[in-house]
Amino acid sequence: MKKVSLFIPCTVDIILPEIGEETTYLLERLGVSPIYHEKQTCCGQPAINAGYVDEAKKSAKHFIEVFGDDEVVVSPSGSCLHTAKYRYPELLSDEPVWLRRAEELSSRLFELSQYIVDVLGVEDVGASFEGTVTYHESCQILRGLGVSEQPKKLITAVNGAEFVPLNSADKCCGFGGEFANNYPDISEEMVKDKVQNYIASGADLLVLCEPGCLLNINGYLSRNHPEKKALHIATLLADTGREVRL
Amino acid sequence: MKIKTEQFVEVARREMADLNSRAFLQLLPPVIAAMRKAAMATFPDPDAATEYSRAIRAEVVARLPELLEEFEANAIARGVKVIWARDAEEANDFILNLALKRGIKYVTKGKSMVSEELGTNDVLIKNGIEAFETDLGEFIAQQLNRPPFHIVGPAVNVSVQEICDLFMEKAGMEEATTDPVELGYAARVYLRDKFHHLEMGITGVNMAVAETGSIINVENEGNIRLTKSSPRVQVSVMSLEKVVPTMRDAIHVLRLLCRNCTGQSISSYVSIDTGPKKDDEIDGPEELYIVIVDNGRSDLYGDVKAREALRCIRCGACLNHCPVYATIGGYPYGWAYSGPMGQVLNPLLLGLDRTQDLYRACTLCGACKEVCPSGIDHPSMFLYYRSKDVKGDSKLKGKKRDWKEVGIFKIFTLASTLPWLWNLGARLIRPFYNRNAKNGVVSHISGLFEGWFRKRDLPAMPAKTFHERWKDIEKRLS
Repeated sequence: MKKVSLFIPCTVDIILPEIGEETTYLLERLGVSPIYHEKQTCCGQPAINAGYVDEAKKSAKHFIEVFGDDEVVVSPSGSCLHTAKYRYPELLSDEPVWLRRAEELSSRLFELSQYIVDVLGVEDVGASFEGTVTYHESCQILRGLGVSEQPKKLITAVNGAEFVPLNSADKCCGFGGEFANNYPDISEEMVKDKVQNYIASGADLLVLCEPGCLLNINGYLSRNHPEKKALHIATLLADTGREVRL
Repeated sequence: MKIKTEQFVEVARREMADLNSRAFLQLLPPVIAAMRKAAMATFPDPDAATEYSRAIRAEVVARLPELLEEFEANAIARGVKVIWARDAEEANDFILNLALKRGIKYVTKGKSMVSEELGTNDVLIKNGIEAFETDLGEFIAQQLNRPPFHIVGPAVNVSVQEICDLFMEKAGMEEATTDPVELGYAARVYLRDKFHHLEMGITGVNMAVAETGSIINVENEGNIRLTKSSPRVQVSVMSLEKVVPTMRDAIHVLRLLCRNCTGQSISSYVSIDTGPKKDDEIDGPEELYIVIVDNGRSDLYGDVKAREALRCIRCGACLNHCPVYATIGGYPYGWAYSGPMGQVLNPLLLGLDRTQDLYRACTLCGACKEVCPSGIDHPSMFLYYRSKDVKGDSKLKGKKRDWKEVGIFKIFTLASTLPWLWNLGARLIRPFYNRNAKNGVVSHISGLFEGWFRKRDLPAMPAKTFHERWKDIEKRLS
């Protein structure tokens, strides 16, 4: 059985562990054996984004130590994966030994939907959902990793699901990590815009691949439109029938 | 222009409440973005065309000193007087003294971002020389004493009623009208008179061609051409990165500039001027001065990351694709350059300390980088500025962060390298965090994170992290 190493980002680990479980079950159902390094922590994205590069280097080195030998690392978060894949080589550019390790690891890192469609060659994972589904193109997944068709193929192949387009799907939802907290006036307008487009799409469900956007959009929906939900793609595809918290 | 970069949050809040601004922001950037897309599609290979112009701009930055020398030599050979201005004061002093020496009463100006950067108008006006902006939008913005709202449409957010009142008061319009065509005509009549008697014109430069010493201006109204061709004395002001190596390069960048700026294959007017009027020529200025403005740029040249900002050709495509700009408009950026372009340029020209919000109020979504015809990686520039600010870098005038934030990141980082501490931390935080939870939802936390909770919730922390669940999961898997 193929082994893949799970990179579970802190938002998933601490706040949304169900997404980690669903990722695990989904991979197992696709004939892959997930392994989990218990020494994994945070990739350092918050520190990089806030400008704490010396600190982020330490987190990056820890990450490389933990995942360095794995053949394939899969993560249900595009932005954390993007950090390890593309920011680490920038961050460690003046440390040749670490830079080489970061670059070697970079090619072995995959976002979940990317891994399922591009590496496993699977589109129909055997999930069902009755209703219309739309998709939010998270910034680091679309523009950072170049992943867009993969999740849409997976959604389209879900039994009973009908894919409907989302207006301005590629426009940022206003999360941006510390941005959402530090510039709430602007961030709130952006997430409101995203939610209005979701409602206007008429879709029963908004699906995405990024826990950050998920917390942002669901956080706003919970307060303002509690009848609507956004769902991580792992939840849709694992089809465990769980109720989404929040 | 008064620099207001430190009032970013305050002005942004005001602008978000301004219905006129909001209406235009919902309309203008998407319309220009769609026009850009259609115009880019007229290239046989849009990606290749973009890569080519990015390569040209990369070459400009890498060879900047020698290209400027080559440009200077060729311009002088064509009869141009080239002036190097170290800063705004030197540039403005030169222009003012020239005007005074020639007995000039007023000047007309073509749209020029660098003259906004220098505050040239203010200096001239203070010394008794009137300065008339001749781009319709700039003319309105100038009369209203406001910075440009958008690089392409400086006054696009101003209502026709407001323009009507303004023209009645300040531009000699006699009959009230809110018909945009009539208003445009009124400005035209008013300004045309200025051109008739013009003695000195001031314009910016879109490109300066090193190989030929030519300067290129791009516009849609014809006022730059009039400003360049009707007076005896013509001053072209350029920031030093406007140079390009060859005419072929200039023509290619021009294709990208027009498509990215206004979605046109080419603008209505493109003027290429090489030297002043020669003895056997009928048109053109008798004296042509090109002021090459440094204003802090060459100081940064040794910083190979920071100098990437000098790739910018001011097309404004980044503004039209920026979700933050689309929410707040151009005023909050507080200076000549707004949107991602301004977020990259202003911190270098003004210092990181005075522009804190410019490089922080960004979600790093990368929409700007994707469209940039100059190859600027804006998000990476912002991360660089943030890191220099955290370090208190003296060259870029970093300010350092407050001790609470520094402390949080130190502890967070330490925990990220010690898995036992990381997991212990998660266990310890849970009861504190969940104290605020109601039915599995946290709706308020005071202190550092309250910004999030104004209009948003977060889920409560479940009893077990993924880490704590793994042993069970593993058992079920096998």
